Amino acid sequence: MDFEQQLSRSITRRTLLGQSARGLGGIALASLLGGGLQAETAAPGLATHGALPTLHFAPKAKRVIYLFMSGAPSHIDLYDNKPKLKELTGEELPKSVRGDQRITGMTSGQSKLLMVGPAYDFKRYGQCGAEITEMMPHIGSIADDIAIVRSMHTDPINHDPAVTYLLTGNQQPGRPTIGAWMAYGLGSVNKNLPEYVVLLSGGGGQPLLARYWGNGFLPSKYQGVQFRSTGDPVLYVSNPEGIDPATRRELLDGVQQLNRLQLEAVGDPEISTRIDAYEMAFRMQTSVPELMDIARENKEVLDMYGAQPGKASFANNCLLARRLAERDVRFVQLYHRDWDHHGNLPNELKRQCGICDQGSAALVKDLKQRGLLDETLVIWGGEFGRTAYSQGAISKNNFGRDHHPRCFSIWMAGGGIKPGITLGKTDDFGYNLVEDGVHANDFQATVLHLMGVDHKRLTFRFQGRDFRLTDVSGKVVDKLLA
Amino acid sequence: MMRPLLSLPVLLAAMLVASVGYAQTAGPAAIDYNRDVRQILSNNCYACHGPDAAKRQAGLRLDKQETALAALESDGHAIVPGDSGHSKLIARITSSDDEQVMPPPGAGRRLSAPEIATLRKWIDQGAKWKGHWSYLKIERPAVPAVSDAAWPKTPLDRFVLERLEREGLKPAPEADRSTLIRRLSFDVTGLPPTPAEVDAFVADPNPGAYEKLVDRLLASPRYGERMAQKWLDLARYADTNGYHIDNHRDMWRYREWVIDAFNRNLPFDRFTVEQIAGDLLPGATLPQKIASGFHRNVMVNFEGGADPAEYLTKYVVDRVTTTATVFLGTTLACTECHDHKYDPFTQREFYQLFAYFNSVPEQGLDGQKENPKPSIRVASPEQTAKSQEYVRQLAAVEARATAQLAGLTVDSSPAPLALAALAREYIWVDDAIPEGSTPEGQEKADSWHWVESPGPVLQGKRASERTAVGTSQHFFTGAKYPLLVGAGDKLVAHVFIDPANPPEQIMVQFNDGGTWEHRAYWGANKIDWGAADSPGRVAQGPLPEAGRWVRLEVDAAAVNLAPGAAVSGWACTQFGGHVFWDKLGIITCSPQGSQIHDHQETWELAEHLRPKSPAPAAVREAIKIAERDRSVEQKTVIRDYFARYFSTKTRAIFDPINAQIEQVQKAQADLEQSLSATMVMEEMSQPRETFVLTRGDFRAKGDKVAPGVPASLPPLPAGAPANRLGLAQWLVDPNHPLVARVTVNRYWQQYFGTGIVKTSEDFGTQGEWPSHPELIDWLASQFIESGWNVKELQKLIVMSAVYRQSSHVDPQVLKHDPYNRLLARGPRFRLDAEMIRDNALAVSGLLDGRIGGPSVSPYQPPGLWEEIGFGDSFTAQSYVQSHGTDLYRRGIYTYWKRALPYPPLVTFDAPNREVCTDVRARTNTPLQALVLLNDPAYVEAARVLAQRIMKEGGASESERIAFAFKLCTARAPQPRELDVLTQVFHAQLSKFKQNPQAATKLIGVGESPRPAGLDAGELAAWTALGNVLLNLDETITKG
Repeated sequence: MDFEQQLSRSITRRTLLGQSARGLGGIALASLLGGGLQAETAAPGLATHGALPTLHFAPKAKRVIYLFMSGAPSHIDLYDNKPKLKELTGEELPKSVRGDQRITGMTSGQSKLLMVGPAYDFKRYGQCGAEITEMMPHIGSIADDIAIVRSMHTDPINHDPAVTYLLTGNQQPGRPTIGAWMAYGLGSVNKNLPEYVVLLSGGGGQPLLARYWGNGFLPSKYQGVQFRSTGDPVLYVSNPEGIDPATRRELLDGVQQLNRLQLEAVGDPEISTRIDAYEMAFRMQTSVPELMDIARENKEVLDMYGAQPGKASFANNCLLARRLAERDVRFVQLYHRDWDHHGNLPNELKRQCGICDQGSAALVKDLKQRGLLDETLVIWGGEFGRTAYSQGAISKNNFGRDHHPRCFSIWMAGGGIKPGITLGKTDDFGYNLVEDGVHANDFQATVLHLMGVDHKRLTFRFQGRDFRLTDVSGKVVDKLLA
Repeated sequence: MMRPLLSLPVLLAAMLVASVGYAQTAGPAAIDYNRDVRQILSNNCYACHGPDAAKRQAGLRLDKQETALAALESDGHAIVPGDSGHSKLIARITSSDDEQVMPPPGAGRRLSAPEIATLRKWIDQGAKWKGHWSYLKIERPAVPAVSDAAWPKTPLDRFVLERLEREGLKPAPEADRSTLIRRLSFDVTGLPPTPAEVDAFVADPNPGAYEKLVDRLLASPRYGERMAQKWLDLARYADTNGYHIDNHRDMWRYREWVIDAFNRNLPFDRFTVEQIAGDLLPGATLPQKIASGFHRNVMVNFEGGADPAEYLTKYVVDRVTTTATVFLGTTLACTECHDHKYDPFTQREFYQLFAYFNSVPEQGLDGQKENPKPSIRVASPEQTAKSQEYVRQLAAVEARATAQLAGLTVDSSPAPLALAALAREYIWVDDAIPEGSTPEGQEKADSWHWVESPGPVLQGKRASERTAVGTSQHFFTGAKYPLLVGAGDKLVAHVFIDPANPPEQIMVQFNDGGTWEHRAYWGANKIDWGAADSPGRVAQGPLPEAGRWVRLEVDAAAVNLAPGAAVSGWACTQFGGHVFWDKLGIITCSPQGSQIHDHQETWELAEHLRPKSPAPAAVREAIKIAERDRSVEQKTVIRDYFARYFSTKTRAIFDPINAQIEQVQKAQADLEQSLSATMVMEEMSQPRETFVLTRGDFRAKGDKVAPGVPASLPPLPAGAPANRLGLAQWLVDPNHPLVARVTVNRYWQQYFGTGIVKTSEDFGTQGEWPSHPELIDWLASQFIESGWNVKELQKLIVMSAVYRQSSHVDPQVLKHDPYNRLLARGPRFRLDAEMIRDNALAVSGLLDGRIGGPSVSPYQPPGLWEEIGFGDSFTAQSYVQSHGTDLYRRGIYTYWKRALPYPPLVTFDAPNREVCTDVRARTNTPLQALVLLNDPAYVEAARVLAQRIMKEGGASESERIAFAFKLCTARAPQPRELDVLTQVFHAQLSKFKQNPQAATKLIGVGESPRPAGLDAGELAAWTALGNVLLNLDETITKG
């Protein structure tokens, strides 16, 4: 926390209480906050630790775990069963279905767009009878805890712009990601760990960019902090060789004593903030390795996730996400990279299901058994869907699907989400929306809503404009709310 | 524990009653439309009652006086000057009726009581309008009178003092000299002063000592590096393309140009013109072309399947918005899709600006292999010298060859045999593919698998083999000496089929330098290349017998290889199975390969048959003429060429000479390849058409527009061309109201942390009112009058009394003005990311001071790029750390990968440079502490600092501590500080003496050499002390 934030926070909490927020202090505060946010009196229990003085309504979720499936998993093969499409395999997609939909340069040159049905069979799972691919039995086993959204849609048609759009509300680089907005708006409730943590599965697939967990135009302290399974768990958190923790403490004491003398001599409050920052850095030297050490978990838990201590994997990261949730880290984003199945989809999809199914489900179950699911929003999904037609030739064991932003499926669980439902409907081809469309901006508005934030009122003044995550649109999806 | 001097609650309580002059207040003074009113209206009303015609409600427009005072569509007037009681605007903003109140409840905005009071007062005072200040012509204001006439050192001090006196504040005393030289050194050069420089300045009794120091620092080449750092943020300079796979680009010549431009004090108007349109200047020089790379710094994409037209649009949009931010301090991004909500700019005007940048001969998707086009190659002075040296060397060797040829006797004995008798089997591929050819095939370059005995080998040491599922092959292309086909020739291959796993089909294919349409196969007809039953796919019969070597022969004519054809590539193809190949060649009477000849006659025959002879034209022409008809010169030319390259009798003389020439030529080619590329602007001969794009959608073309500038700003200067050069001339026209204001404000911000206009990227109506409106105009007019003299402007600022104030924070003043906008004290804030690095390198003595050159890659934790990358078939996917002195270059030279910029810089708020960044936040975080405590770069700097302490720091311990402290802070430690440091040192010394292993490990960090003879325990203890010093707030702060 820097001086500015310290000032604004303290004004809100201690001094403005009992005064009119519309008063002079309110104006001063508004200007401190970059003009973007209106000063408001914190309602009881709704005060935040960030730039928002108060939440806009009582939150359903305290934190978010976003399992980001980069590369765009095929909705048709996972969550949106299309028996008709199976029957029509090998036939040309009717022009009336495609309409004037933009398609990518990878299939626009194909002489024919031949339809292809799901690679594997679907099963009905749980009391709710949700239809999910048989390739993901573990996720099937939590069907009653999750809400499947079959009617997501977005604007961009390529990976980089689509990931950027879903996470920042704009396909061009430069804006903050959801996690950064939360870190800025709500601040941290954790004295030992950052508020926005990022975990990568390892392995290949679509490239990632730090922009996907970036701060955009917000100050850099709001960017996601990568926690890593190899090397330093947080960059530079380990002491250099030859410096043990006791020595580090001694040296730090020297730094802090001298900084206090400097504070006394110069009077700059920024020095006081730096002293605090160094203390938190020291605490992180203990808290981060402790957090990352999943070998501390008992065998049942490790087996439940399929986690193996000592390597970077999606399963390990799911377990780490739970450990981060237990420690009140507000936004945890996992990136799994290998869902971009332009060819060889049946094999590749099966392989990715094998990697992602168990850990994802274990996370939800584990949060539930620990009583954390109610206050933790879990999201599973990629940046768009995949086409009903094949990219390249169709054979029994081999076909591909191109990018399809017009509809795709995700699921959400916990934190105020109505469990055991399937929202939205697409046509028989999994190509067009039929019912209850959820646009990327609606999704963003809903996530903020569950965290107690009105997406229209979490803003930041940049280049003369009050920017927000949902730009100029976005509606909360009431049907998803418990 | 000591308590902080100020407790926050006290400070905050005081803030609430403080009159913070630059915020809007409803104080008693006369209302100023620009300062007090405009932003209330723009924030709350313009969205529906502003410049955007499409969104305007009820026909009411409040940003212009005539429309705001006009009769309402309903009835009455929104504003009745002098009468707030009859102004509908006041009635609506104060209404308690949800249907009536403005802004409407759904808008998420409410007017505060003071805002309402301000509007009321403004109307009562006559509702006076003014144009927005920053769009008005710059008038040089009079320098104000002040009470304390002794304090000001420059005219600008009077502007600041006048305001302070109005607020009842006094300026701070001048900072002490060691503080001044440290502040100035960082501000002007980005580096700390050396202790000797500090001592000299502190001891200089000359009244002109400070000015002398200023002049020295401004003349330092470090000045250019310091100034460039900020400019590169604005120019979004980076070493990678930024989108998706984010691979490498070469742009560092542009960075060099920026540094050099500051160092030679290129006036800002020329600095601007050369970057916007350097390529269009008459007789554009190489540096001017490089400068035009400013707008090639845009991110570039080549993601598979992306639409090139979409990205061509993105590049141009970025140029428009960056030009607006950098030079106009104006946000135009919103006008890509619609008219501006707050400022007087229309969507159509956005696309008029777009038209200026829309005719670059670039591709929408580019940059996968080399720089996105257009790009040029640039030689450094050293490279130019090298190139000239090669030319000289070649001439010298050629002269030797000529001399040898002159002294040669001619052997003209005839060939002993009839040429037809030369017919024979010539084996082309035995244990290796032919010279100069490239291996290719199923596994790319790894396709040729060789097997040695006891596997089946027919001749030589090895044979090639392949196991396949379906169609599979290995082949090569580009042989230096092709097979030369004559009449009746047969191509020959030998094959061994594994009886345990026979293929269904085998095929040989020949490449004639153009096509592969020469194929012969045995067995089933599974491989469907070429037309069936054509020379492109000739059936030769059943599969050869398995389990033994079988000779295969193909009539050259049957696969359409006519006499004179040259086979430079060969493929061994199969469908399934396990096959071995050996002894590939030709049965021919034509001479083959690069053989040398005893007789000129036989060589001449080979030369005739060779389709693409490498011989010089004169030789090729002469050889066509019958021997008896050749002139003496022609005979000499042929004879010399034969002797030089093909005669068996002269090899001993010419082989070494030829080899030497080949070597120099290779070096020349390598040099050509190594010349750095840099992206530049160019103009298409036929400009692209530009259309207004509806909602910014590249597919939705509206009206066609021509280049032009916004109507609310001055027109183009007379005679300005309708291209980027004209736009550049418009920007630097002395009548332009924005460019000079925006520029001086940005320099001010560099010294004081905040601009006179805090929102330095937004001088529009949503921007913040200047803290010193007259000062910014005075500076801007001074800047223009000086001929846009950048160094002179820096000097003006740093010579001021304002700049020289002590930064000591007085609690009373802090209460009055927590952000120091009134400047009652000197600037004090954390150094920029690059400076923190440079400082550690400088105080330790590690800094490598070379200026310019390609980017370098300091220590970075392993795996960071690889775990997000797309594999090494693309550039910049794996981090290759530099070594040697490249590890110790200034931060400005660090490789800037947009997808994951160097973490220690980013942690200290360096931007990723995806887009133009004007203001870096200045945060204060635990991650920063971790970098300074543990990053090997800083641990190594502490160790090398320790070496320096032990070598140069004096004899006694306290001398050494004081020496180190002064290196880091430019001052001597206070006794209490010395005590703390001494205690730390003692504790560490005894610890490391007892634990030599730990000592060895600590001083082992970093690649710089450790001098022999220093005690490890002691060096480790000083290293630990260095680590403390490099982490002090004071060390990383400009005080």
